[in-house]
Amino acid sequence: MFQGSPALVSPSQSCLIEEAPQGGVLRLSGAWRLARLHELDEALGHCAAGGGPGPAAGLRVIDGAALAALDTASALQLCRWLRGVAGADPGALVLQGFDPHHERIFRQVAEASAGLAEVPADRRYGALAQLGAAAQELGAMLVGHLSFFGMVVSESVRVLRAPQRLRVRELVTQASRVCISAVPVVALVTALIGLVFAYLLGLQAEQFGANIFVVDGVALGMTREFSPLIVATIVAGRSGAAFAAQLGTMRLNEETDAISVLGLSTAQVLILPRILALVLSLPLLVFVGDVAGLAGAALIADTMLDITPSTFIARLHDALALKHVVIGLVKAPVFALLVGVIGCRMGMSGDRDTRTIGAHTTSTVVQAIVGVIVLDALFAVVLQELGL
Amino acid sequence: MSGQAVTARPAGDRSVGAPVIELRGVSTRFGTQVVHDGLDLTIRAGELVAIIGGSGTGKSVLLREIVGLQRPTAGTVRLLGTDIWQAPEAELAAVRRRFGMMFQDGALFSSLTVAANVEVPLRESGLVPESLVAPLVALRLAQAGLPPDAGGKMPSQLSGGMRKRAAIARALALEPEVLFLDEPTSGLDPITARAFDRLLAGLCEDLGITVVVVTHDLDTLLSVAQRVVVLGAGRVAGDGTLAEVMAGDDPWIREYFSSRKMADANTSSR
Repeated sequence: MFQGSPALVSPSQSCLIEEAPQGGVLRLSGAWRLARLHELDEALGHCAAGGGPGPAAGLRVIDGAALAALDTASALQLCRWLRGVAGADPGALVLQGFDPHHERIFRQVAEASAGLAEVPADRRYGALAQLGAAAQELGAMLVGHLSFFGMVVSESVRVLRAPQRLRVRELVTQASRVCISAVPVVALVTALIGLVFAYLLGLQAEQFGANIFVVDGVALGMTREFSPLIVATIVAGRSGAAFAAQLGTMRLNEETDAISVLGLSTAQVLILPRILALVLSLPLLVFVGDVAGLAGAALIADTMLDITPSTFIARLHDALALKHVVIGLVKAPVFALLVGVIGCRMGMSGDRDTRTIGAHTTSTVVQAIVGVIVLDALFAVVLQELGL
Repeated sequence: MSGQAVTARPAGDRSVGAPVIELRGVSTRFGTQVVHDGLDLTIRAGELVAIIGGSGTGKSVLLREIVGLQRPTAGTVRLLGTDIWQAPEAELAAVRRRFGMMFQDGALFSSLTVAANVEVPLRESGLVPESLVAPLVALRLAQAGLPPDAGGKMPSQLSGGMRKRAAIARALALEPEVLFLDEPTSGLDPITARAFDRLLAGLCEDLGITVVVVTHDLDTLLSVAQRVVVLGAGRVAGDGTLAEVMAGDDPWIREYFSSRKMADANTSSR
């Protein structure tokens, strides 16, 4: 064994380079472990930096006799340093005094890291490209909704021709979830809105001594606009989101595939019962909303505006034309169709992973609420033109 | 205790190793159902151990109890010298860095790419310099036998076998001393499954990792397992090399291996 003079000593003594006649010798010592990577990084940096490229450049031998441990992460770090700073091929260096176990790890990593391509980072796009991509995505989504709606219609026609295909049991289950369990929250919210609405109207009407006209305003507003809108919004949040999450999870678990393989149609087993349950339930919920909203208004009218319940009901008879109630109830199934189609379509589309289920569930609620309000505005314009 | 490596052992000597896993009197009950009934088991550093047993004998439950996911009803579980169910949180955190686990279906984070999945433990540990993260991820993918372009893919775009490899790459991220695998070859074709066996043997022999596999795959037992532990009736019903276990008189073991012998006989008589 030759005795070279230590050229460079790193602070932690993990590595040092010695000059020798046949070329540089890199002496490794201590524990080369993942937990010490930062320290080792520094040590290797000192090894090279202290003497410039000189001492690291002519490496021929690595001495591992004093190594206590070597794992793959630190071996990778060493190999990268050898290639990058020392300009040496780790596979071609002579290993001296290595524990066979350490040598195996070093050889393996040297080989594995030779042609290692790092995973490329995500490409970033400019603002215009992102805008274009977003617009394209929106267009594709709307077209997708439309074709899904077409599929629902054609499946419905098929069920109409052979009504025994209708899954009555599933329909009833869904209807009870969508309708009956929504009654308390719908009643509470619409009653409060009716109460607040009547109170605010009353504050204005009182100034003109026209208290009784509060009934006209509340009756028209609740039955024609507020109740359908509020109920559709609640149902979009409750049932639309539930449809998207349920169907998305069923797709993730390959349950929808199992249904297809059994020769059943997912549209008939899963989608139609849900949408139909929603279409049947929403008018009922809107009616609950009408009643609760008017009850809330009657309560505040009695206590704040001196309108007794019997006066309230008598005025309701005179002031509320039936057509407003009917218009409110007619809007409901249309809103229901929109919420149901969006919820089911978002559940049945996209990648099969948890992120998609979450994103699609949120998106369902947003889309359904925006869609309901846009539809409501369309109703207002069309009914105005029709003189209703 | 938790700071020092347990894998230190004389070079070249594979039979001696400090105990890595020590189960003493482990009992598990779900309601009235008894899964483990005073189970004792010791696994030493550098071993490649296969745990087998019929359905419902609590193989996966045992694995979950060792790694600290499920508390046994009674008994002590020591992993890398730490009592998993008594140790303070800080000591547990140190132990968690020293073992890796591969779940049956991979349990990859489905919203992250494969490379990002492997990055998670590297970044969370704070031990790896930023410049070394990407190369180390690439090395782990290569160690698990994945092509470099797999790193950019989402887990949902991978085949079952590749998902399992990606899960191994994530489990290997922090240089574990012990690797737990739950049914690594289930649902794989025999060729991929055998490649998996070689991967496990390589990890055990080349890197000195202690490997604990729960498996049903007889070929895994035949080709790579150094030691087979059979669970039955809530206890260890058989323990030793494959030959030793096969020589035992447990009825389940006999039936288990005779199914294989019959299959062999059928194919050779054709």
